[in-house]
Amino acid sequence: MNILIAARLAFARILATKTRSGLTMLGIIIGVMALIALVSVAKGATSGIQDQFKGLGARNLTITGTTNQSITVDDVIEIAREPGVDIVSETVSGRATISSNQASTRAQVIGVDSDYKTVVDPDIFVGSFLPNVENTKNARLIVLSSSLASDLELDAYSINSTIAVGSTEFTVVGILDDADGFGTQGSAYIPLDTAFKYVAVPPYLSSITVQTTNEEIVPEVTANLTSLLKARHNISGEREADFVIVDASQLLDAIGTVQQFLSLLLGGIASISLVVGGIGIMNIMLVSVRERTREIGIRRAIGAQQSQILTQFLIEAIVLSLVGGIIGVIIGEIVAYFLAQLGEWNFALSPTMILASLGFSMFIGVVFGVWPARTASKLKPVEALRFE
Amino acid sequence: MAAVVEMSNVTKTYGEGSSIVKALDGVDIRIKKGEFVAIVGASGSGKSTMMNLIGCLDRPTTGVVKVAGEDLSELNDKKLTSLRNYAIGFVFQSFFLLPKTDALDNVATPLFYRGVPAKEARFRAMEMLTKLGMEDRYSHQSTELSGGQQQRVAIARALVTEPSLILADEPTGALDSKTGKQVMDLFADLNDEGKTIVLITHDLDVAKRATRRITLKDGKVINDERDKK
Repeated sequence: MNILIAARLAFARILATKTRSGLTMLGIIIGVMALIALVSVAKGATSGIQDQFKGLGARNLTITGTTNQSITVDDVIEIAREPGVDIVSETVSGRATISSNQASTRAQVIGVDSDYKTVVDPDIFVGSFLPNVENTKNARLIVLSSSLASDLELDAYSINSTIAVGSTEFTVVGILDDADGFGTQGSAYIPLDTAFKYVAVPPYLSSITVQTTNEEIVPEVTANLTSLLKARHNISGEREADFVIVDASQLLDAIGTVQQFLSLLLGGIASISLVVGGIGIMNIMLVSVRERTREIGIRRAIGAQQSQILTQFLIEAIVLSLVGGIIGVIIGEIVAYFLAQLGEWNFALSPTMILASLGFSMFIGVVFGVWPARTASKLKPVEALRFE
Repeated sequence: MAAVVEMSNVTKTYGEGSSIVKALDGVDIRIKKGEFVAIVGASGSGKSTMMNLIGCLDRPTTGVVKVAGEDLSELNDKKLTSLRNYAIGFVFQSFFLLPKTDALDNVATPLFYRGVPAKEARFRAMEMLTKLGMEDRYSHQSTELSGGQQQRVAIARALVTEPSLILADEPTGALDSKTGKQVMDLFADLNDEGKTIVLITHDLDVAKRATRRITLKDGKVINDERDKK
C-alpha cells in the first residue's frame, strides 16, 4: 500500500481520536520541549561567557600570582626579554572605599600601566580610558566600570567630576561598557604608579598580561615563561608554583567542555522523558491494535499483506511521534526564547537541534511502534474477522 | 467449464486430543464459473469453515482445496493473501467497511493493496460506485450510510478487483427484508452478467434465490440440488 495513503489514514485517525492522540503525544511533546529548551539554556548560558573570554584576545596570556607577594615588577622586565613576547602589561589591585557626592561603596581598584589599553582593549561607554599614563605619573585619574558607576549614582554627565578613593580625590575620565568586557564588573582603574601609592605595595603585582606576537606561539611562550618564573622564584621539583599562567584558548576550551557536558547532561535527562513518551505510544498502539483487530481482519481478507499491515501501524506510530515532536519543537523554541530573554543571552534557532529532535522522535516512533505493528501483522485473518 | 472452487475429500478439524472438533468431514464439491451457489446449513454445520476455505482465509487439515486453480495447502501466507486479493470478492453480513475511510477509498483499498496507483484505483472505484448507484455517496463514511447503502459499497469493493468469485456471508442478515431483497436482486443481476457467486446463509428464502443449493450438516454435504433450467 502506498505510504502516502497510510500516512493520510494515520492523520485521519489522529484527528478522529483527538483526546487520545493528544494524550499519547504528550510524552513526546514534553520530551522534545525539554530537550530543546534545556540544550538551548546550556548553550545560551555558556556562549555569553565564551564571548566575554574571546574579548580577552587569543594572543594574550595572563600570569596571576597565587599570593599577594608572588610576582613583581622585576619579573616583568625579564618577561619582556623573552622571544615571542610583544607587549607586557602589569596590574596591581587593592580594595578601597570609593565615594561620590551621592553614594559610597567598597570596590576593587586596579592599577594599570600604559600598555593595558592596547593589550586588553576595554570597551568605553563614555569618556576615554586612562590617557598615556607614562606622562602623567601619579595622576589621580580614574575609570569606572558601568556597574560601579551606577552604584555610585553617576551617569554619563559625571565625566570630569571628582570622586574619592579612600580620602584621595580622583577625576573620573571614563566609564566602561561592562557588557562586553570580562572581569571588569564593579572595578575601578587608575594609573599603576598612583595605585602603588594608594592601594598597593610595590614591587608586587597582582597580574601580568602578555601579548605574544602571534596566536600559534602562545603554548610555547607559556612554557618558556613558566620555566623562567619558576627559576626566578626558586621553585623546583615537586613544589607548586606561586603563579598561574592562563591563556584565552585554555579558558575557551574549559568553557567548551563545560558547555558540552551541560548539553549532554540536560539533553540526556530530556531524552529519558522522550523514551518514556515512546513507551506511552507503544502502550496506546497495543491497545489500538487490539481494538482494531476486526479492521485488521477485514484488511487481511481483502488482500493486505502482513508487511502492508506492519507498515500501516508503524507509520501511525511514527506520525504520532513526529507530530508530537513538531509540537514539542515549537513549544520548546518558544520556551527557549523566553528563557533567553530572562537570562539575557542571545536566542538562536538551531536547525541541527531541531532536525535532531525530530529525527529522535521519529526514531522513538519506529522503535516503540515495531512491536504493536508486528502484533497487528501477525494476527490470523480468520480469528481477526471473528473478533467482536 | 473451469471450476472456480474445487474441494476433494476435505476435512477441517479444530483443537487437539479429546476436545477435537471436526468442522468439515469429507467434503467434495466443484463450483463452476458463472454458478450462483448457496451454501446452507444451521449454525455449527460447517458453513463458516467452508467460507474460510473458499475465501482462502484458511487451509484444510486434509484433502485438497483449489481456488482459481491454486492449491491452498501449497501457498504461503503471502501468496494466499495475493490469491484472496485477486480471486475473491468478500461481502460480509455486517458489511465490514473500513472505519474513518470514505466510500470511495473503501472500494479502492483492495486495489491499493495490489499496488494500483492511487489515482487509477480511485477512478475504478468511482466507476464501480456509479454502477451500483452510489456515486453521490462517494465521500461518505460508513457511519453516514444506511445499512443497504453500506452493503452496496461493500459489494462495490468486492467487484472492483474483478474477482473469480463473489463470496457473500449472510449478506442480508443485517438488513430489513426490503433492502435484503434489493441486495439479492443485485446478486441475481450480477450472476446474469456472468459473475460466479457463492452465498453462505442459514436463510432458506435467501438460498432460493441461488440456482444451486449445497446443504451442510455436521460437516458433511447432505444435499446438493440445482434449479432446473
